[in-house]
Amino acid sequence: MNQEAPHRQHHIDMLPGDIAPTVLVPGDPGRVALFAEQMDEAWQVAHKREYLTYTGKKDGVPISCTSCGLGPSPTAIGTEELIRIGAKNIIRMGTCGAIQPFMKAGDIIVVTSAVRGERATEEFISIDYPAIASHYIVRASIKACQRLGLPYHVGMVRTHDAFYLESPWAFGDYKTRLQPWVDLGVLAVENEAATMFVVASMQGVRAGAILLSSDPIFSEGEDDPKLEEHKRDLVRVSIETAKILHEKGLD
Amino acid sequence: MQKQHHIQLLPGDVGETVFLPGDISRAKVIADHFDTAELVASSRQYNTYTGTYKGVKVSVTSTGIGGAAAAIAIEELAKIGAKNFIRIGTGGMFQTWLPIPGILVITGAVSGDGLTREYFPRGFPAVADLDTVEAMLASAKELGIEVHEGYEWSHDSFYAGSVFSNLDILEIEKPWIDAGVLIASQEASTVLTLATARKCRGGVILASAGCHQHPEISATPEQMVKAISDATRISLETALKLHKLDHGE
Repeated sequence: MNQEAPHRQHHIDMLPGDIAPTVLVPGDPGRVALFAEQMDEAWQVAHKREYLTYTGKKDGVPISCTSCGLGPSPTAIGTEELIRIGAKNIIRMGTCGAIQPFMKAGDIIVVTSAVRGERATEEFISIDYPAIASHYIVRASIKACQRLGLPYHVGMVRTHDAFYLESPWAFGDYKTRLQPWVDLGVLAVENEAATMFVVASMQGVRAGAILLSSDPIFSEGEDDPKLEEHKRDLVRVSIETAKILHEKGLD
Repeated sequence: MQKQHHIQLLPGDVGETVFLPGDISRAKVIADHFDTAELVASSRQYNTYTGTYKGVKVSVTSTGIGGAAAAIAIEELAKIGAKNFIRIGTGGMFQTWLPIPGILVITGAVSGDGLTREYFPRGFPAVADLDTVEAMLASAKELGIEVHEGYEWSHDSFYAGSVFSNLDILEIEKPWIDAGVLIASQEASTVLTLATARKCRGGVILASAGCHQHPEISATPEQMVKAISDATRISLETALKLHKLDHGE
């Protein structure tokens, strides 16, 4: 099949024109509804497998939201197909496990780069290639957090494949397993950012990630009692980021 | 505290921002752009000048070639109070659309070097500091100097990855060229990863005389003197901006 000609993408089930230049990408299809409710208008564009897309407008700025499922494999597919239909800014909007002791449930993490602990991107390019967020998206995300007065951290995360090796519900001594990353200054562990950064940057497309610390791993934790509110904050700050990119002419 | 083993410097000998050329003679060229400068130490390939630029204390330390030597300089400079590391170097460009000579602001690096592999786990990203990248781009704009931003391929063997190689370098470099990497050089990955790990800022700006895909075209020596001077002027203004971020006016 000719990849250059406009055709309906195999998994996300969309054509050029179906999405805005800036696409927010949660893992969970359920979170797309949180996006839709905060937009001035939003309509469902496509829904196939774990890929659910809404496109809409907020304060006149067109923004889309496409869930890409959990993990590197569907994220690599989703990122690739979004690029093929014209996405300019692809921003992961997800949850993660914060691993630094100073981090609390509800904190926002603006991701500058990611350790490539996953394998999906090694099929594209050597492990030596860095997984880095666009600094334009990093700055826009920081500004969005500041505008909304939300607590945030800026830094590196670790992307990996096996949730049940590095999470509060993991098998065995997961804290010892995570300690080397704590010592390296990694802020959080999650499953998608590095994949998105590598697939996008190799094609000259901007990518970024805004994460919610939903499960701090080193706090003896009960579940975050304000989790639903914090998820709405995550969506709010992501939409604000898209607006700032628009203000700067980066969409 | 004793003098640091290789660089032969003590706390107080350098400013918070230290420029890191590879070439020993380039340390003097860079120091000549300061308002005042004096040679504070000279040991092996590590020549350090400290002085002021528009009232801010700045330094330059030559590191010699390669990640191994650059890492020693960064570790020792961090111990005596350096906070911002800005490599000013040269390299060979990959992309035919870049101007010759080219001045490149490095936002990240492919870690093809051994230093990064020994220090950090596989997959650890070599990313430039956000403030430094932004300050370099803003300074270039203010000075009216054309720059391009992107990644460096950092590697260890000059004669396996330069236009002077006997190997088929375009074959070796094809993955990086295809992925849009801008330039080959040797130290960015070391500077960026180690600065991050030591909770310092790391940045890299490179001047280049030519492109690996067009080895027959080369900038003149005069053009390169100007390109390195321009990269230095951008770096000095960057140092001022970082100083302002940390200390106010």
